[in-house]
Amino acid sequence: MRFQEVEIRKLSETTWEIPRKNGMRVPGLIFASEKMMEDIARDEAIRQVMNVAHLPGILKYSIGMPDIHWGYGFPIGGVAAMDAREGVVSPGGVGYDINCGVRLLRSELTAEALRPKLRELISALHREVPSGVGSTGFIRLTAQDEEKVLTEGSRWAASRGLASAEDIACTESGGKLPGADPDAVSAVAKKRGRDQLGTLGSGNHFLEIDEVTEVFDEEAARAFGLFPGQATVLIHSGSRGLGYQVCDDYLVTMADYMRRNKIDLPDRQLACAHIRSPEGKRYLSALAAAANYAFANRQILAHQARETFLRFLGMGPNDLGMRLVYDCGHNNAKFEEHEVNGEKRSVLVHRKGATRCFPAGNPEIPQSYRHVGQPVLIPGDMGNASYVLAGSPEAMRSSFGSTCHGAGRKMSRTQARGSVRGKSIIQEMEKRGVIVACASHKTLAEEIPEAYKDVSEVVGVVHDAGIARRVARLRPVAVVKG
Amino acid sequence: MIEVRGEDLPQLFSSCILALFSLLVDRRTVREAEARSAEVTGDTLEEKLFSLLREAFLLFAAHQFLARTAHVTIEGKRVVLTVSGEPLDSSRHTVIREIKAVTAHALVVERSPGGYLARFIVDV
Repeated sequence: MRFQEVEIRKLSETTWEIPRKNGMRVPGLIFASEKMMEDIARDEAIRQVMNVAHLPGILKYSIGMPDIHWGYGFPIGGVAAMDAREGVVSPGGVGYDINCGVRLLRSELTAEALRPKLRELISALHREVPSGVGSTGFIRLTAQDEEKVLTEGSRWAASRGLASAEDIACTESGGKLPGADPDAVSAVAKKRGRDQLGTLGSGNHFLEIDEVTEVFDEEAARAFGLFPGQATVLIHSGSRGLGYQVCDDYLVTMADYMRRNKIDLPDRQLACAHIRSPEGKRYLSALAAAANYAFANRQILAHQARETFLRFLGMGPNDLGMRLVYDCGHNNAKFEEHEVNGEKRSVLVHRKGATRCFPAGNPEIPQSYRHVGQPVLIPGDMGNASYVLAGSPEAMRSSFGSTCHGAGRKMSRTQARGSVRGKSIIQEMEKRGVIVACASHKTLAEEIPEAYKDVSEVVGVVHDAGIARRVARLRPVAVVKG
Repeated sequence: MIEVRGEDLPQLFSSCILALFSLLVDRRTVREAEARSAEVTGDTLEEKLFSLLREAFLLFAAHQFLARTAHVTIEGKRVVLTVSGEPLDSSRHTVIREIKAVTAHALVVERSPGGYLARFIVDV
């Protein structure tokens, strides 16, 4: 297959290699089916995978997942692992929405039992869980509180009675990244974040009630507490204005670092600094702080959702059984141990629109899931499906313990809006059996199912490639869109 | 992708600032109640515009200030922006979209027939 001047080599039915050219330090590797590759080759994502391969210290491959599409500098759906001593860290390799991610809550209820009350329930969730442009949360942080959120993440929420010990245990990294330094976060970033804790935001962020429609792996589904017909809640949000500002601030810092250190890269948005430089260390401290804000944000959103369910249904917590299955980020950079050329190395894995996916036995996985692998949550579009996957050993061998993060856009927001002119999205979704509550009809139009790739196809590729395995499929029945 | 044209660079830059605020709010609802200014430096036209857009966006992101009009002067590396507007008042202003940041991705400033053209992308 050709992409402009580049001949892309098919390695298997699900993997493609982009050979090293010019300044690329490593080849590119894309996980996709042949049909998906044809679509991927139509935008700039392949060029961006090649650009990322220029970064100092990158190891093995610049990787693209099947949900890859163009982003700012790095593609969305990209993975780049850097040598922890010689390599660089790049804010663009994480993205503006630092530690944007997904959390899944299960319940003891079936979707069928909820169906008669679903419209009122989703309206209540829309009312109680702040969403949309400029929304503010019910929590007013003092400057001191905000610093604690930045250092403690979900554990701060636990200290305020907004998280249980089980919530913390079932959150990636225990809901707290080490090394967070509030002083590395600018005053502007803190100001942007102060009133936004516990808000969903807008764009592709959502809260939805799903039904488990199919279980593929019974052992893993049992471990995760999932069963067919079950009602679950999926929440997608991130670090809000605080994270956006951290990324923006450090892109400027690193552009300056690159000028001073004469690092030349094909795209300004790949701005980076050596991991061991003062600039690199400071960004990593700010990144951890913003990631902790995101963990706390999703925890508070989940708390609000749980409380709303309890009040609305008039049930006790044990009867409702709304417990956290897992919370995982998909925009992050984390130090991990990986085998590179037969040698264990400490690497910094950038995942921008990619999910950590550790196999069974890994000590980072909660004890109760350790025999089946890390839960991986893959939100699709609001009309079709989302998936629960589990980590597998092949991901450690070929993708630095990473897999896809969602369906991946195939239409720009403008194209999506243009394609729905005159249609009522809410009515269209009702015909599909999905009740939608939204803050903005404009945003809703940008999020139509047709704007996204087929998530089942994306998940099929990562399953077939062995870099995750299917556990269960979820179907949205009611959605709050920001 | 936002595309802006101007007869000269100050006009181009001030139109870029107004385009940015038009993405946030219907500027016709913004009163010219007070002025704010910002100053940036840059070696290239792209650097100047990127820095200016960032500063203008921070007026909103950090201070909830909305601009109705903008005036730009350029002297060598130095660019000075003065905007006139008012703080966000949710009873009169509806923020149209959440902007994460102004990006440097594909940002260009170039000569075009009749003046200059700029393109930039904001992350939403």
